[in-house]
Amino acid sequence: MSFDPLSGQGVLFAKLEDLVQWSRKSSIWPFTFGLACCAIEMMSLVANRFDLARFGAEVFRATPRQADLMIVAGRVSMKMAPVLKLLYEQMPEPKWVIAMGACASCGGVFNNYAIVQGVDRVVPVDVYVPGCPPSPDALLYGVIKLQEKIQHERLQLGSLLPVREAGD
Amino acid sequence: MPVTAQTDPVQVVRERFPEGVREVKDCWGVPALVVDRADLASVARFLREEPSLRFDYLSDIVGLDFPRRNPRFELTYNLYSIPHRHRLFLKVPVPEGDAAAPTVTGVWKSAGWPEREVYDLFGVTFRDHPDLRRILTPDWWKGHPLRKDYPLGGEEVAFTFNKDEILEQEPLWKEGVGRTDYASFLGGEISEVEKGKMMVLNMGPQHPSTHGVLRLVVELHGEIVTKVIPHIGYLHTGIEKTAESLSWLQAITVTDRMDYLNPPGNNLGYVLAVEKLLGLKAPPRAQAIRVIIAELTRIASHVAWLSFQALDLGAISVFFYCFREREKILDLMEMASGVRMMTSYITIGGVRKDLPEGFLTKTKALMDELPDRLAEYEALLTENKIWLERTRGIGIIGQVEAIAWALSGPTLRGSGVAWDLRKAHPYCGYDTYDFDIAVEREGDVYARYLVRLEEIRQSRRIIYQAMERLPDGPSITEDRKLALPPRGELDKSMEAVIHQFLIASGGFPVPNGEAYVCVESPRGELGFYLVSDGGNRPYRMKVRAPSYIHLQALPAMAEGGMVADLVAVVGSVDPVMGEVDR
Ligand code: SF4
Repeated sequence: MSFDPLSGQGVLFAKLEDLVQWSRKSSIWPFTFGLACCAIEMMSLVANRFDLARFGAEVFRATPRQADLMIVAGRVSMKMAPVLKLLYEQMPEPKWVIAMGACASCGGVFNNYAIVQGVDRVVPVDVYVPGCPPSPDALLYGVIKLQEKIQHERLQLGSLLPVREAGD
Repeated sequence: MPVTAQTDPVQVVRERFPEGVREVKDCWGVPALVVDRADLASVARFLREEPSLRFDYLSDIVGLDFPRRNPRFELTYNLYSIPHRHRLFLKVPVPEGDAAAPTVTGVWKSAGWPEREVYDLFGVTFRDHPDLRRILTPDWWKGHPLRKDYPLGGEEVAFTFNKDEILEQEPLWKEGVGRTDYASFLGGEISEVEKGKMMVLNMGPQHPSTHGVLRLVVELHGEIVTKVIPHIGYLHTGIEKTAESLSWLQAITVTDRMDYLNPPGNNLGYVLAVEKLLGLKAPPRAQAIRVIIAELTRIASHVAWLSFQALDLGAISVFFYCFREREKILDLMEMASGVRMMTSYITIGGVRKDLPEGFLTKTKALMDELPDRLAEYEALLTENKIWLERTRGIGIIGQVEAIAWALSGPTLRGSGVAWDLRKAHPYCGYDTYDFDIAVEREGDVYARYLVRLEEIRQSRRIIYQAMERLPDGPSITEDRKLALPPRGELDKSMEAVIHQFLIASGGFPVPNGEAYVCVESPRGELGFYLVSDGGNRPYRMKVRAPSYIHLQALPAMAEGGMVADLVAVVGSVDPVMGEVDR
């Protein structure tokens, strides 16, 4: 993006792709998807001290149809996984997933019959945040990383859908 | 009024059922009567009704599996008497071939879910149970996970060399896809005449309120709730099974993750139970530190509860006020243990490390400002018209019902029963602290709110006293066979290295036996029933989770009310799903 030095009117020139992704990354609407302990730290991130609003992502939505980021905050049980998958499918594109915490990333301390060993076995994950639970600043870093990723995603102008390249 | 028990329950039962009582065991101070399952119903009724016994409170039912014994299963009914303040275990052996027992739901209402849990996890059926379905695992599940011959499960860690192999395994959860039938749970039960008038609403497991993955199937007549069926298990984590595969010391870490608003409190309950089996007592300094940490956590938990409750009712600013205080307490936790939430700070024999410098000053500063903070909450809510309308007279449960459903903690005290484990059965020296039990009579959501606010004030009083008297001395037992040596010693002493190695690699054995310890968690009676076979791992760890038992009473509180109040009622019980589903 660059300002036009000639006009002096605050006119902005940019590639459409950059602009679209810039607006997307600055207004992420997460889905209130608290599962376990990690959800409490997710709430701390929204609260006054860490204040996710500074990064444009404080509008938590309780319905998948209005959300574009699913923060899987906690362990996913075998009973919950089908529900999680359904909810993910109900989110409109473009959508992203953050696996928050050891459990969502890989099963964490619970390598047993009840827990899905990583939510990436159910839905595609964009950013993994380690920790048990990750502190709010760690999750914040994860959100910033996701924003970077969104900014660099390629746009197919015809459909305005991001294109995922092989191995992405 | 509490009457101190003069009668010996064992004697009374023996006189009445000379043939019925097979054996009397002692589980670390609690008598355990072994009875035949044929006699269970009559003994149970007698225990409840006999005035000198009055076991009106079925705390929990513990399933035990001993594959090499005959009969293989053993059910332990954990009974308590609120009027007499005494506890008794009723043990019923159940053979493998005919794994069934009569239900006691007719005697104690609170038996419903614990019996379902035993059925789900052990495969023991209960005759005439009104609703015997799986409760924690999904209904398509095969096998009973807590049986000893059921594998722990899970999968290997994926590395480059075995990644493909692991990803190829057919994931178990796929079994459940498309099976979640949202309407059928009630549909069949509505009579034809009523069908046009009733509506079935599915709430959860993902829904806007802040209480985790609880699912309620609600039957509505207009806006009136005619029926509520809670479905739980969406966070079933297998914590009890995992604990069986960890050493006694390691298992502390999984207890943290149950009631995640109260991790040190969970540690405390578990650790006290292990110490009971070991016959160990933590040094006085450790006791006082435990009290400080536990009460700080209670405050953190109650303010978090308040913020969630207000948020659910649409008052969002309370959330920001409350989290300000919660953050300060989490900072203190981080100071003491290095972690904000999952501290594992309270450990067998004491606490992991002594309190750091500056901890007490900071705690005192926070306690000094707390009354002002509470005044702020109260200014926002206590007289607030909307808050009153939404909480007063909502979700009422009376004293008798509350005991029948085995409620505890603020939920019970909101119904006028002054029963607090810190007073009734003191631990960590709580009997030496001066504090009052918060009680309200109305039994509605508002009463439970007032109780919790008052408990914050009382916790503050306790913390002051504990800080004042904090004795000098070690903060963990000096017995090097049970506690890790301090880091400094490892550089100088070979012996310390050996102790460290032994504890870290294999752990220590704990004498054979069974013990139950309960502590007053912010939610209520949090109990740990531990069984040791003399090895270095728990043979069985059964958690009496207060939220689990409380949720069972939700229909009793919410039915007949308005659908908009349902969320207020759920919130007022303060369920933490991590503890409900374990
Ligand atoms: S990663 Fe840790 S804190 Fe998060 S859900 Fe799992 S056990 Fe709880």
